Amino acid sequence: MRGYLPFKVVSAVGAILLLAACGGGSSSNAGLGSGPLLVGVLAPFSGADASFGPRYLAGCYAAALSINGAGGIGGRQVSCQQFDTRGEPADAVPAANAMIASNSNLMGAVGCTSDEASTVVPILDRSHIPMFCMTGQSEFNKTSAKYFHRLVPPDSFDAYAMIGSALFGPNHAPYKRIALVFGDDIGSQNFVGPAVAALKKLGVTIAINQAIHLGAASYRTEVAAMLLTHPDVILTETIGSAGTYMKEVKQQNGGNVIPFIGTSATIDPVWFQQVVDAIGMTDFLANYTAVDLRLSLSGAGYDEFVTQLTAADSKFGGSNALTYKGKSPTVHLYDGIILTALAMVAANSSDPTVYNPKIFDIANGVSGATVVNTFQDGVAALKAGKSIRYVGAAGENNFNQWNNSQQGYNLVTMDKDGNEQVIGQLSEAQTQQIIDAGGNA
Amino acid sequence: MDLYVAALGFGLISVSVIAIAAVGFTMQFGITNMINLAYGEVMMVSGYAAFYVNRAGVNIWVSMIAGALAGAVLSFLLNRFLYAPFQRKGTNLIGMVIVSLAASLMIANVMLAIVGYYSASYVVDQGPLVRSNGLVLTTAQIAIIVVAVILMLAIHLLLRYTRLGKAMRATAANPTLARNCGIPTQRVIDVVWLITGALCGVAGVVAGMNSENFTVSSGAGYLIEIIAAAVLGGAGQPYGAMIGALIIGMLTELSAAAIAPEYKEVVAFGILVLVMVLRPQGLLAKRGALAAAG
Repeated sequence: MRGYLPFKVVSAVGAILLLAACGGGSSSNAGLGSGPLLVGVLAPFSGADASFGPRYLAGCYAAALSINGAGGIGGRQVSCQQFDTRGEPADAVPAANAMIASNSNLMGAVGCTSDEASTVVPILDRSHIPMFCMTGQSEFNKTSAKYFHRLVPPDSFDAYAMIGSALFGPNHAPYKRIALVFGDDIGSQNFVGPAVAALKKLGVTIAINQAIHLGAASYRTEVAAMLLTHPDVILTETIGSAGTYMKEVKQQNGGNVIPFIGTSATIDPVWFQQVVDAIGMTDFLANYTAVDLRLSLSGAGYDEFVTQLTAADSKFGGSNALTYKGKSPTVHLYDGIILTALAMVAANSSDPTVYNPKIFDIANGVSGATVVNTFQDGVAALKAGKSIRYVGAAGENNFNQWNNSQQGYNLVTMDKDGNEQVIGQLSEAQTQQIIDAGGNA
Repeated sequence: MDLYVAALGFGLISVSVIAIAAVGFTMQFGITNMINLAYGEVMMVSGYAAFYVNRAGVNIWVSMIAGALAGAVLSFLLNRFLYAPFQRKGTNLIGMVIVSLAASLMIANVMLAIVGYYSASYVVDQGPLVRSNGLVLTTAQIAIIVVAVILMLAIHLLLRYTRLGKAMRATAANPTLARNCGIPTQRVIDVVWLITGALCGVAGVVAGMNSENFTVSSGAGYLIEIIAAAVLGGAGQPYGAMIGALIIGMLTELSAAAIAPEYKEVVAFGILVLVMVLRPQGLLAKRGALAAAG
């Protein structure tokens, strides 16, 4: 018996060591591990918001190429995979669960639009998956989800910027009668409450507030009702149905299109083509404006992004990834993935509980941090023992305590090729006036 | 008041589009006992076929023929190579519904890979606006109504006054008896899939014209109203589908005028549920063209 006990102890210790070695990838501070890594693009690729997914995927492809071209994350190559939520919470949950369950090498997720964020963010957070979401829902303004990150402002701010465009925008007198025409989906309806609150407080007349059913075969009666209120301008986000609606506006209004101001989601090649097909290029250029996040779209970080997006073009099978080079979702999610990758290198860990907090540090930078614009430069600086601040393709990020970061708005339009053109900016005072009126929940 | 009159006029267009589609859908069920959930996707394949012809410079009304042909051929092939083999093996109705659902997903995803997620839009000369007592319609919209009326009349004449129509009705009523009486039921069923497929194709094109833009995913949205009209009228009954289309089309437009537009389908389908509670067999069950004799 005495001789048998040491053998049991040695066996037990050996078994523990063996188990620890096998589970190395998920234990704290156990290094970056080996094998390929995956970024999940959890977004609508079909359904009414099908155009959202590809622009996120474009950002992911560009980021993966940038990372892999610099040797990967500790040698681990990054790839992107799409997980279709169909823009429906009911479809998003199984998509998120499948993504997590079937991919133990998931380093992060991007996408999670307003269509599905409420259902998928808790799932991702519970599974400790760092995420960069494109949701504009105000419920994430002060979220408790530690793995949630947002590089775009809440939709309420988009709504305020649209009102700013209507009241202070260039090339027109302040509009006095405003029609609100938004889809009946969760994402579009997020704009309505803040817009109504702000307009009422500012004393601007809401000619009509229409929630239209996205994907309906026609909106003739809705358009007739809207035209009876004689609005000066339409504030709108009706993704997938904008062409149908605006065509009927033109038809019923004697061939004249009413000026319309879109959210940042309307600055999209699919949306552009749809509306231009419906009302014609001349009317589109004369009547469309939108608001978009203020992006630098210049500098070493942006140059690297464009280079990699160009290289990713072949993956898009004729859809031309370069059409996304000025699109804030593509640029921001590219930055989000680079931030995550740099956080892993900085933490020297593939354990998200370890590298997730580093995302905040690298985005905001600690005192004395070296500014880097690319993954390659970031890795070099980290290897040299420096702390870093990543200023990426979209410029600086400044996360607040709830991992929300934003950079203000531009007033924009699109040229005949669908390229975004900045036509103005809202001043701090103008922006603050509208935020004060609408409230910052 | 003007808004309600206008809504009535707009309702006529919706009715026309739904009627063309719903009659084809319900005939497939009435004669071949197949609830074809891939119907919406076949509509979109037809819509895209007409789109490419139209974009090649061909007038939309001529392109519609290409759409009808595409719908006819695809529906025929679907039945011959997918549905019929399962039916021959004795797959029950629910099983066949699942097969058609699988077919719809396959068609949609293949289409997505081919045409992409960009929307398509026909080149259509809408013609001058026609205004009359509050009604406001374009010439092209009036033409869609005329196409629907012609097709409904043609279906009526086919079912009532032709040998083929009588053979269809006999096959619908009792296929075994029809076969024993010398009716080539397999050939009749093939012709039914070709005719209903052509209706489906035309429906896809007019739906695309009606919506101005359409994408691969539009088919699923159309299918809801089509099924509603078919069920409301009495499953398998072409005349019932016409009446169902009239009710669904008008109610959606009128409720958009009377209530908030986001509830327009809620109202229409609420009434559908009410009718189903009061008359589960639908409005025209046992009275339509495909009803069993006696």
